[in-house]
Amino acid sequence: MKTRLITLCVNGRDYKLEVPHNRTLLQALRDDLQLTDTKYGCGSGECGGCTVLINGKDNVNSCLSLAAEMEGKHITTVGGLTKNGELHPIQQAFVELGAIQCGFCTPGMVMKTASLLAHNPNPSEDDIRRGLEGNICRCTGYENIIRAVQKASQMINAGGARS
Amino acid sequence: MSDLTYVGKNIPKVDAKEKVTGQAMYAGDLQFPDTLFGKIVRCWEHAHAKVTHLDLSEAAKVPGVVKVLGPKDVTQKLYNCGVLDLLASAEVGHMLGEIEDQRIFTDYVKHQGDAICGIIAETQEIAEAAAAKVIVKYEPLPVYLQPEESAKPDAIQFDARKPGNKAFQLPEGMFPNNVYGWGDVDAEMTKAELVIENTFQLPKVKQCQIEPHAYVALFDQRGRLSIWTSTQMPKLVQNKLARLFEMPQSKLNLIPTTIGGGFGGKLGMIFEPETCAMAMAVPGRHIKVQSLREEDWVASESRHPGKYWLKMGFLKDGTPVAADALFTADTGAYFTHATGVPFTAGAWLIGMYKYGAVRYKTNTYYTNKAPSGAFRGYGNPQTNFVLEQTVDQACRQLGIDPVEWRKRWHKQVGDDGWCLGIPYASSSLTECLERGAAKIGWAEKRAKYANQSGPKRRGVGVSVMNHTSGAMPMLLEHTVAKVKMNEDGSAVINVACSDVGAGSHTALTQIAAETLGIPMEDIYIDNNMDSAGFDVGSHASRTAYVGGGAVMKACEDVNRQLIERASERLGIPVDQLEIKNRQVVSKDGKASMSVKEICSVGVSNYVNPANGERNGVPGQIQGYASHFPSHNSPPFGACFAEVEIDIETGQTKVVEMVIAHDIGRAIHPPSVHGQLAGGAQQALGMTLTEEMRYDEKGLIQNNSFFDYKLFGPLDMPKLTTILVENPDPAAPYGLKSVGEAGTVNPVGAVANAVSHALGIMFTEAPITPERILKAVNERGIK
Repeated sequence: MKTRLITLCVNGRDYKLEVPHNRTLLQALRDDLQLTDTKYGCGSGECGGCTVLINGKDNVNSCLSLAAEMEGKHITTVGGLTKNGELHPIQQAFVELGAIQCGFCTPGMVMKTASLLAHNPNPSEDDIRRGLEGNICRCTGYENIIRAVQKASQMINAGGARS
Repeated sequence: MSDLTYVGKNIPKVDAKEKVTGQAMYAGDLQFPDTLFGKIVRCWEHAHAKVTHLDLSEAAKVPGVVKVLGPKDVTQKLYNCGVLDLLASAEVGHMLGEIEDQRIFTDYVKHQGDAICGIIAETQEIAEAAAAKVIVKYEPLPVYLQPEESAKPDAIQFDARKPGNKAFQLPEGMFPNNVYGWGDVDAEMTKAELVIENTFQLPKVKQCQIEPHAYVALFDQRGRLSIWTSTQMPKLVQNKLARLFEMPQSKLNLIPTTIGGGFGGKLGMIFEPETCAMAMAVPGRHIKVQSLREEDWVASESRHPGKYWLKMGFLKDGTPVAADALFTADTGAYFTHATGVPFTAGAWLIGMYKYGAVRYKTNTYYTNKAPSGAFRGYGNPQTNFVLEQTVDQACRQLGIDPVEWRKRWHKQVGDDGWCLGIPYASSSLTECLERGAAKIGWAEKRAKYANQSGPKRRGVGVSVMNHTSGAMPMLLEHTVAKVKMNEDGSAVINVACSDVGAGSHTALTQIAAETLGIPMEDIYIDNNMDSAGFDVGSHASRTAYVGGGAVMKACEDVNRQLIERASERLGIPVDQLEIKNRQVVSKDGKASMSVKEICSVGVSNYVNPANGERNGVPGQIQGYASHFPSHNSPPFGACFAEVEIDIETGQTKVVEMVIAHDIGRAIHPPSVHGQLAGGAQQALGMTLTEEMRYDEKGLIQNNSFFDYKLFGPLDMPKLTTILVENPDPAAPYGLKSVGEAGTVNPVGAVANAVSHALGIMFTEAPITPERILKAVNERGIK
């Protein structure tokens, strides 16, 4: 297997890696960098558990993205939303609204929400449901997650967002 | 208003912040130096076959492969992944016919996904590459996918101990003639003025917890076998693994990790035996086994499918004179839960209504499908689909309102419960029905949707359910709790209770805080399995109820000791002292001692050099309880659903749902609401979209989230959950369970709403667009 030297920028930090061409971003994060906050749920882009943010706005399933294609892009994982131990408003809203049960889908849900709100700061409930489609939760019935996204949107619009 | 400080409060869960930041460690997240990777090689091409030739030599030659393990390289002992054998006496187990019939690696494939051998390699990729080099030759055998096929006299016998491939019927010693119930059903049925009789087909559905099974294990030089696992049942799995590998429990070090969802899917042993066997083959090296999502459907357990026949007789006034039922259940390829689920499916039927007479029978057969096991609700969703639709059919033919019928005929306080002999201590089902009906606008919608035309048809349906808090008296219920008071007055609660994500550690912390009178921040739930006493684990909606009862008692034990210490020091009788605001105070208010001071001097018991006296009563305070609950405080609930069906596409949209739940007292209300909403997601799937499909060779056709349709955010209805709180007299803080309840009554409510919309009752779940279109076309509905 051919390998390639790449620089992955994750949560504001550059990591130099030698990866096989077919190394997924999820493998690079979890296995090579030991950043396990991004979860493996299905490996085929069907559950959304491995969702990360690209360049602060777009979301991808890291299990379907090649690490080598991420050269030059800024990747944010759920751990990277927390600054100096302070929760991001989205994380705060998930905690307050009881949107977390087993927590395994939570990192993906939070990052999907970050992408959703970056594109649409004032989503309707239908926008939120549509926006979260592709991320599966087996615990919550989505109800408290949707309330948390609404709350996060309010918090960010009220000035709670940090750079 | 409640005078409670912590119980019943809407507060963040104790583990929410670590989960929302990605810091919670699931088994697959663990990283140890020098870790090896284990791959369980499965049979993917056959559902029933003998292995005639297994050649591991090519796999072993792959660079980076450390070891390959065939069936004879690991223990040959048989086991049962399930745990019921640890929860009933040996006599009862014998009577039930419990058997052990599974092995780590097999040379006789009974279902697709059976494990053939194991590969241990330096990386996951190498293990996968080596797995592809394993050479297996099979002799295919006839495949039996339904009980009526495996029950045929000439069918190959799965197990010599179970003739006719019949794994279970109700044991003769307890239930003569395979009957659970009461009264003379045949005689009562002759009085019926209306008889409703149907056979329902129930689907095989999967737990689909989002965390795929993953483990790390290490067999160290001291002879200790460590296993990191997200099992729901740490103590029972520790016990079973110690037994399987023939070592004392003190050498089996089970470290529970954060659990990424369970729903019964992590009840008992799953792939712990294979992982431990691989670790024992490479002493001193950590070994990680990360199973793949697509393995889950073929290699682990699911809900029991089967045929469920129910005949009910009614008088014209609605009186249910008799109910006669037979559940022919499919346990799949191994025994696993062949006894438990088929029995309880009948218990939920027995526990629901005041039948004149009732007779429940069950027969369980082997088939060549993945084993059936525990799945949230444990037979109750199956019964709900059958019983609640039957009731609605009768109501329609008798012209009786389904809500009024249920109010009249559901069991009440004092009536015999699901397990005959334990009467219900509380029931707020009537209130659930009334509040739910008002919320959804039952009467108006029933009338409005009575006569519809056009392509979109709406319907509204209701369903009720009973469940349990813990499995007593059917199975052992026991939790040990220890409360260690630190020298600063904070507390560590040592229990083996797991938190599958339902919030039980939060509820236990609230109960401890309430009982001890100290803030939740000063309490930590410690899950160390070497030090923790016994606990059954997360099943049967028991942790808040039984674990909570144990924690409450252990905290009361602490309080008793605090008062005794203060009494000795202050010279005031114990009956004159009480604990308030972290102080032990005399009832006249004149004397007090802080809890912190008592705890501190108990540890640092110095002698005063001036007078030679000790500064207090010596000894660190520890509370203890070994708690066996006296009841099972069953919850009840009413669910209302409104659907809209497009008769041109067959598509069903669940528009709205109202769930009113008889919770006794909600310890952590957001978690209770969350359990009901999450349970509804699973129930809606079982009713409308979810079903494991097999081809004629017994190979699964839909082992992915792409092909196995779970409800997503857009599919879920507008949902209202109503908590009806009337504390149960037999429960700690009056609480009743909610864990499994959520998956139960949305099943019947949605099925009844579909029936209301179309005038067609569907006896087969899931009620897919294909089935709806077929029925609509057959009846010429336009």
